[in-house]
Amino acid sequence: MNTKPWKHPLGQAAIVVVLAYVLFEWGIWLLPPLFGVASAPVPATVVLQYMGTVVVGVLIWVSDSEERWKQFKAPIHRVMVDPRQKVLRTALMVTIPLLVAFMTFDRVRPTVSAPAALRSVHPAPPGQIDFRGETMVLNGLENPLRHEGDLEKHYEEGKRIYVQNCMACHGDALDGQGHFASAFNPAPLSFQDPGTIVQLTESFVFWRIAKGGPGLPREATPWDSAMPAWEDLLTAEEIWQVTIYLYEQTGWEPRTWEEEGAEGEEH
Amino acid sequence: MRARASSRLAAMVPGFVFAAVMACAVSAPLAAQEENALGRDVYDRWCASCHGYEGLGDGYAATYMLPRPRDFTQALYQIRTTASGQLPTDDDIMRVINEGMPGTTMPGWEEELSLEERLALVDYLKSFSRFFAAGEAPEPLTFSSPTRATEEALADGREVYELIECNRCHGIDGRGDGTSSPTLVDDAGMPTYSADLTENWYFNGGGTVEDIYQRLRTGLDGTPMPSFTDLIDAGVITDEQLWNLAHYVRSFAPEDPPGITEVIRAGLVEDAPLPDGVDDPLWESAEAFYIPMGGQIIESPRWFVPQVAGLWVRALHDGGELAVHVSWSDHSESPDTAWAAFQAQVLSAVGPDEGDMEPGPRPDGLYLQFPMEIPEGMDKPYFLMGDPLDPVYLWHWESTAGPAQEADARGLGTMAAQGDASQSLASEAAFSAGRWAVMFRRALETGDPGDLQFRVGEPVPVGFAAWDGDNGESGSRGSISSWHYIFLQEPTPATVVVAPLIATLLTAGLGVLVVARAQRREREGAEGPDEGDA
Repeated sequence: MNTKPWKHPLGQAAIVVVLAYVLFEWGIWLLPPLFGVASAPVPATVVLQYMGTVVVGVLIWVSDSEERWKQFKAPIHRVMVDPRQKVLRTALMVTIPLLVAFMTFDRVRPTVSAPAALRSVHPAPPGQIDFRGETMVLNGLENPLRHEGDLEKHYEEGKRIYVQNCMACHGDALDGQGHFASAFNPAPLSFQDPGTIVQLTESFVFWRIAKGGPGLPREATPWDSAMPAWEDLLTAEEIWQVTIYLYEQTGWEPRTWEEEGAEGEEH
Repeated sequence: MRARASSRLAAMVPGFVFAAVMACAVSAPLAAQEENALGRDVYDRWCASCHGYEGLGDGYAATYMLPRPRDFTQALYQIRTTASGQLPTDDDIMRVINEGMPGTTMPGWEEELSLEERLALVDYLKSFSRFFAAGEAPEPLTFSSPTRATEEALADGREVYELIECNRCHGIDGRGDGTSSPTLVDDAGMPTYSADLTENWYFNGGGTVEDIYQRLRTGLDGTPMPSFTDLIDAGVITDEQLWNLAHYVRSFAPEDPPGITEVIRAGLVEDAPLPDGVDDPLWESAEAFYIPMGGQIIESPRWFVPQVAGLWVRALHDGGELAVHVSWSDHSESPDTAWAAFQAQVLSAVGPDEGDMEPGPRPDGLYLQFPMEIPEGMDKPYFLMGDPLDPVYLWHWESTAGPAQEADARGLGTMAAQGDASQSLASEAAFSAGRWAVMFRRALETGDPGDLQFRVGEPVPVGFAAWDGDNGESGSRGSISSWHYIFLQEPTPATVVVAPLIATLLTAGLGVLVVARAQRREREGAEGPDEGDA
């Protein structure tokens, strides 16, 4: 009776179950990123399965020895029969059914949510596109203006193009917080975000600007995107100029084709 | 980069020559600018594209916005803690840099720029005008502490609102529809709208009671909004009454700004008839959803200065019909001849010059857009009025065109009303004190293969567009939203009540049985021979 909880089989069983839950619910999701390994939350149904397995395992272990089984049962039995435990007993007999009622209600009550959209943010680009009647091969394509003309002039021109055309949604600070941004879902991309243009080659950025929302593949829900197809309004040079502006202004370096080759088919 | 080039140039010129040239040839403000290299770098990099490299408010984007970017050479600042006509304090300028100007294109820069950069920027902005260098540091006004927003305070605030004629511009319900509204221009001669007081999250100087009180004391210099400090000095109203007014102005807007709605819930009406008009009291109790709107800047002709910033949407159904109520702030019932000159000013002020920019009578308008049928998977028609392969079905209303009509579209600019025989939509619209309310009502099932058929319990994609004719909006020049959903609530299934009840009874019963059995065996064990198992 006076044994420490972690020496008692019931206490040990409870500790194992709680630890297992913490590990499944948060550990698998949050620990690997600390070591630089990508991870994701475990779906609730999988957690439930794992917890079922753990509970069965714990029961097998406690019932494995007669002595341990008795020890395990003793506190439970005491709560059920001991007159001194009447308050705890009554409390449990009220709270447990209420908890069950609440859990059942939570499962059966009608909820309203938008249909889940599994949307690909950086879909695979096509190998080549048709730009104003000309074929452009995207694979291996570099921004030609980086070696042509005055880079500062291109930047300045890119700035003009950006604030006149892109700023209303993508924001003055290129953070996706333009004054029209809240009207559109999916939200305009933030170019400051380390998950956007820094991950992409300039040819990918050219493709996205030129073809806009309507030019997205199906898995990227082209019908939802408010990104215009800029090939109707901007020339190829203007698109390359605004691309230079995006990288210069955010301080990011575009991804190069050597990196792309070395890291394989990530996009 | 321009900044980098100029500082490089500066480094090449020997210091003494540089200083001598500056002293002789350049005015004092510009000399101050040369000393503030950091301020210049930050300004040229982030601010000049709207405000212009020379601070004249004439950057590349200037004609794409109303109100125009600030001209710093005028030293006219709207948001100050100083008296009207005075320069702002450094803290005043810093506040606008930090928080931006809600309701305009000016964002806050607190997250983006370091404190050092922002401090340098404050100095740099001041260097565009001689006034800052010439005079003494401006003194902020002393503001009294806020009073409490009691019933009496609000009632008094309402009287002050009319006494000092706030309604002349802001309208009786605060929606910016006052009779003087169409005549308003700012000091640069640009048309300017009186603020819609029901949307305090768009107040240029912030939406709290304290912000409102300060703006009443200081005025918004450069705009038609005056300071009312002189009325206090002249004994027309007391300082406390100005606080009461601030409380009253604040009371036009909801407690919190609305969140963004993805799903509009259409409540099920079981014990009353579905509303048949915009003023039906049932709408008061219906849940209201806010839909933020943005300018149509996707296809030419584009529109960068839309007036409909958001719609309030309510929906109810009774299993047989669906009723949708949409309301929004509008300065006028377009086309209103009082606004004709204002509209012409707007159209001549904004770019880009695309499409028909000729002033003329234009109606207000609204559409709700749906797919032709409830999508099976995730596919939807293109959100901007569909495309040739995947058309959309619309409910289209115009202020001059009678009842709303069912229409189809296969892309922007292709909207065509359905034939008279196919029309099955009822509607009512009313304009009152700066607010449009439009109600649509239709049977869930029409039997018309050209219509969307609604089904209870299934989310249906819905999109919106709105036009303010007196702001020069028509055709592709208006405001739009992306796809949302409307969900027709199902009757509460019996399982929601029954299932938890059964689960509770089962658990409780089982608990009682187990405990009773354990107790019985404990008693038997105590009386009889020990069985060895508890």
